[in-house]
Amino acid sequence: KITARLKRTLPVRGPQAPTLSELMRWYCLNTNTHGCRRIVVSRGRLRRLLWIVLTLSAVGLILWQCAELLMNYYSASVSVTVQFQKLPFPAVTICNINPYKYSAMKEYLYELDKETKKALETFYGFSEGKSKVRRSVDDWNSTGSDFFEQIPLLKVEDFSRTATELHSGQKRKIEGSVFHKDSSIVNSGDSNDIIGFQLCDANNSSECALYTFSSGVNAIQEWYKLHYMNIMAQIPLEIKEKLSYSAEDLLLTCFFDGLSCDKRHFTRFHHPLHGNCYTFNSGESGTVLSTSTGGSEYGLQVVLYIDEADYNPFLVTSTGAKIMVHDQNEYPFIEDIGTEIETAAATSIGMHFTQSRKLSKPYSDCTETGADIPVENLYNKSYSLQICLHSCFQKAMVESCGCAQYAQPLPAGAEYCNYKKNPNWMYCYYRLHEKFVKEQLGCQQICKDACSFKEWALTTSIAQWPSVVSEDWMLRVLSWDKGQKLNKKLNKTDLANLMVFYKDLNERFISENPANTLVILLSNFGGQLGLWMSCSVVCVIEIVEVFFIDSLSIVLRRQWQRAKKWWSGRQQGRAAQATASDVERQGHENPACIDEDLPTFTTALRLPLPQDSPLPRTPPPNYSTLRLETAFTEQLPDTLELSQH
Amino acid sequence: MNLKKYLVRALHRLQKGPGYTYKELLVWYCDNTNTHGPKRIIKEGPKKKLIWFFLTLLFASLVFWQWGILINTYLSYNVTSSLSIGFKTMKFPAVTICNANPFKYSEVKPLLKELDRLIEAALERILQPTPGNSTENMSLPLDLELWNQIPLVLIDEHDKDNPIILDIFETNQTAVDNETAVDSRANVSKKKYKLAVKLCSHQGSENCTYRNFSSAAQAVTEWYILQSTSILSKVPLHERIRMGYQAEDMILACLYGAEPCNYKNFTQIYHPDHGNCYIFNWGMDEEALNSSNPGAEFGLKLILDISQQDYIPYLSSAAGARLMLHQQKSFPFLKDQGIYAMAGTETSIGVLVDELERMGYPYSDCTVNGSDVPVRNLYSQYNTSYSIQACLRSCFQTHMVEICGCGHYMFPLPEGVNYCNNEDNPGWAYCYSSLRSSIKQRQICIDSCKETCNDTQYKMTISMADWPSEASEDWIFHILSYERDMSTNVTLDRNGIIKLNIYFQEYNYRTISESAATTIVWLLSSLGGQFGFWMGGSVLCLIEFGEIIIDSLWITIINVISWCKGLKQQRARFPDSPPTVSELVEAHTNLGFQPEPVGAVPGAPALPPEPGTPPPNYDSLRVQPLDTLGPESDAD
Repeated sequence: KITARLKRTLPVRGPQAPTLSELMRWYCLNTNTHGCRRIVVSRGRLRRLLWIVLTLSAVGLILWQCAELLMNYYSASVSVTVQFQKLPFPAVTICNINPYKYSAMKEYLYELDKETKKALETFYGFSEGKSKVRRSVDDWNSTGSDFFEQIPLLKVEDFSRTATELHSGQKRKIEGSVFHKDSSIVNSGDSNDIIGFQLCDANNSSECALYTFSSGVNAIQEWYKLHYMNIMAQIPLEIKEKLSYSAEDLLLTCFFDGLSCDKRHFTRFHHPLHGNCYTFNSGESGTVLSTSTGGSEYGLQVVLYIDEADYNPFLVTSTGAKIMVHDQNEYPFIEDIGTEIETAAATSIGMHFTQSRKLSKPYSDCTETGADIPVENLYNKSYSLQICLHSCFQKAMVESCGCAQYAQPLPAGAEYCNYKKNPNWMYCYYRLHEKFVKEQLGCQQICKDACSFKEWALTTSIAQWPSVVSEDWMLRVLSWDKGQKLNKKLNKTDLANLMVFYKDLNERFISENPANTLVILLSNFGGQLGLWMSCSVVCVIEIVEVFFIDSLSIVLRRQWQRAKKWWSGRQQGRAAQATASDVERQGHENPACIDEDLPTFTTALRLPLPQDSPLPRTPPPNYSTLRLETAFTEQLPDTLELSQH
Repeated sequence: MNLKKYLVRALHRLQKGPGYTYKELLVWYCDNTNTHGPKRIIKEGPKKKLIWFFLTLLFASLVFWQWGILINTYLSYNVTSSLSIGFKTMKFPAVTICNANPFKYSEVKPLLKELDRLIEAALERILQPTPGNSTENMSLPLDLELWNQIPLVLIDEHDKDNPIILDIFETNQTAVDNETAVDSRANVSKKKYKLAVKLCSHQGSENCTYRNFSSAAQAVTEWYILQSTSILSKVPLHERIRMGYQAEDMILACLYGAEPCNYKNFTQIYHPDHGNCYIFNWGMDEEALNSSNPGAEFGLKLILDISQQDYIPYLSSAAGARLMLHQQKSFPFLKDQGIYAMAGTETSIGVLVDELERMGYPYSDCTVNGSDVPVRNLYSQYNTSYSIQACLRSCFQTHMVEICGCGHYMFPLPEGVNYCNNEDNPGWAYCYSSLRSSIKQRQICIDSCKETCNDTQYKMTISMADWPSEASEDWIFHILSYERDMSTNVTLDRNGIIKLNIYFQEYNYRTISESAATTIVWLLSSLGGQFGFWMGGSVLCLIEFGEIIIDSLWITIINVISWCKGLKQQRARFPDSPPTVSELVEAHTNLGFQPEPVGAVPGAPALPPEPGTPPPNYDSLRVQPLDTLGPESDAD
């Protein structure tokens, strides 16, 4: 019953225009967009053509501009804000450049050092003391170490491709490919011997790679490091921590924000290449110190004790400390981006804090937390590109070599490479590293930037410290501070003074904001539509309605009518059919109707428009049109049927 | 009577609105408005009518919602930044040069003699536990008065819970908790001892704090600074300037671009931390110098002598020149922004001017010239511009004067206040150190100071090399010594001599400037865009709408009046029931397609000018109130 009532009150009617051209005309006259009306109203062909071109070009312009707007939707604008406020003090990680006390390491490195000294002697004729080396050579012969024999230092004659082995002195032919660590190695005609070492695949001894260096300094350091890492990989972490410097050893005095601090403010963290490092304000206790005054007095001031005499002569060749300023959640890659601190000097480091933030997808290809990166984060810190690359390399290392590289943390279930278990690892590592550098491992593609990062811009300057006149008392008092553990008087080259402070408390925050929001996009659309055609969403709906729904239904309706006519004609007979079809065809395009009055539909609609005319309406034609209206009503049941059909 | 007539006429005129009932008015509005939706409501069949009614409502609410968002965006005063980088002729920065040590030791020795003897004796006692050694130094009686004002104490921490406090020069030990007689010098060398500075609010009062130091070196320096501050604050300014380094002694050679300059091109300024400082190109008296070429050849080249032998041993342990680049007419805050230059080296500084130009209120909370900051700028006595550092220091000094009653030596004085010293203000050190470590005070200052809108930083690329080289050392020292002292002997050495090059880099500026992201033009065009997008409307449409509201108000008034009149007279004068809404709507619109109204058809042919259309309705309305108004209006 309700449906019946609905049908009565809201009858389904097709479009009122009988033909497509009528519909178009009606549309053009009644639409809200501006161009169409002109086309219909204009007199003269040229003018009409002009208006058609103009309207079409306006439509084209709108489409073009809107496409432009859509394409530029994902663009970002940058805003820089400066805030003056209390700033959190960054974590400052301090390491001695020398990782372990040489005196303590003696028992582990004895063999290696002996070998190195011997190499120096054979290749360069240099020795610390003749007798000592002689003895050590004898020692070596008696002990006979396996792995030094495996990867000996070689003297290569480049053109003949023969190498002289370090201890046996015998020459042998080089097989396999030669890798040059230094690119500028090929000095034509230079008869200088080149030092390098050869790494062979243990399973397949014919596959070897020879690494050569232009300078023996590099060669020996690289070679030493290889063996050193091999030895260190076998020492458990607890022992390594004991072998390295303790907080009391490294830090003589500490002063932060005008107050005294001590080793309790530092957190130890073991770095594979730098030994024990100490992080000030690591935030591990749950609180992060902050600064509310800039200037050197209010920052961190430490005096470091760098025990120069206890340095490993082959592993590190420079003296001092390395520091890095970083965020509490960030892993300090001190070997990559640390700042070196000189001894016998006061290094003052002024900081300037900048925080940057990028928009993630779809604006740029960065990652917010690193959770969407398929590489497991081996470091216990928040994501960064460095962490990802290192983790990725380590993963590849474990997969292809079966053991982990010493400089990076261990993945679950893996252990560090050493000769005893993985005789092949060095060759594997070098091959893999080569691939990594050439971006063949795909790590560079997998790893993405982090979206936000904090940066402390450092201004480093150095002054002499202690000054000539204060040297005397300073060293005395510092020796007293150090206590009785140290018997000798301190030397100023064993000390480094470091000041880390905020230059000002202005925090710069550089952030990207979406340049467009949906609201702005829509209003830009509106502006374009309005500018060219005075169009709106209503017009768009109209267009959809008229050009798709109505035209379609008109076409369908006509087809239906024709089919019906044809069917009934077939039933009634030829003669009757002919007349009926004539009548039908002329029903709408009947010249008589048009003659009698202007097209029914449009005139009917136009009638109420001229309100300003003194005569309120032009009624008589109005009513006569009613007659014509019956022509439409005749069609109504058809459309009804159509919809029900 | 006249007035009534006038009113009636006015009413009459007002009634000539578009329609005389709300419905008519609405229909009229829908038909004639320029917004796109309403027109469709009345022009189509009943089903479409319904659809269009809801569509129009939806679009209208969308428009208002989006307008709200746009206005909100506008009111958040966003800014966009633009970055420009390159090289242009720029003002060369002002360069301030100081010695790390404030005074020549040879000049201040008489003042600090007592202090030095005290600290030497104290160190003797701390460092050398055997009592016999220290006696020879004690030949002269020590000024224990000075010592007792701010004594250094040893804290014995063998027993963590009961630390014992030992005064270095006193025989009787004062323990905090229990009086344990321990020989102060027996176990001194053990690590458990700590040095501390004892600070009391008044001498001899119980209200004391101990400032602990993990390192003796730090304690000694800190103590010495406190004591020397007290002594030097009594010295008049001109005397202090005399004791500092003179320009002609310090600046040995100067070259700006190709032009020679000398110490007379530098402006002297007294800096409390560093004594006499010299500023090149400060722009106070003459125009600032421009530099139009990058590279060291076109920059400033200086040779300085810091005479390290004449340093005050306990005051500053780092040796070198302190320098800073800053803007013209701004005060150099060397402790914050300064860098060191090491003796015996050539320090090259490439400069990049990093500027940030910001919009002021309401876009960000910054100040253009500091006039709207509630802290009085004490540095204005130097004729310098506002900076956040100046504000913070002024704020601290103001607090210091309020709480301690005297000004700190490191900061400029407000009028009518003296610097703190031990005689006049015995408790000042206690007061100062509690104020300095008070977080609350700092926060107050941070909150009340605002940053400046134009933030200029000089980004420096610093590199160093040994200078002079061994081969050239000899002649350089000879010439410089001769020029300074007119002597043929070498009076300079490696420990005192510094070469500086300051120049613009290839790209010498990086300017980030802000502009408003949302201007009023932007707002209007966005509002218009939204309105146009959904409904094809404009401001005129809004005015139309307002007009309709006014009209409907008038209808209300007229209705109320007529209703009041109608109470007196009978209402049942019109037998015809008023037309329904749908009838009205149809009457106004597509007459042709509607079934003929029952009453309209016979009436229409009879009255050709009003064919079943509103005019009768209007008339019926018009007649009703007019009749009640009386015959006079009809006569008009």
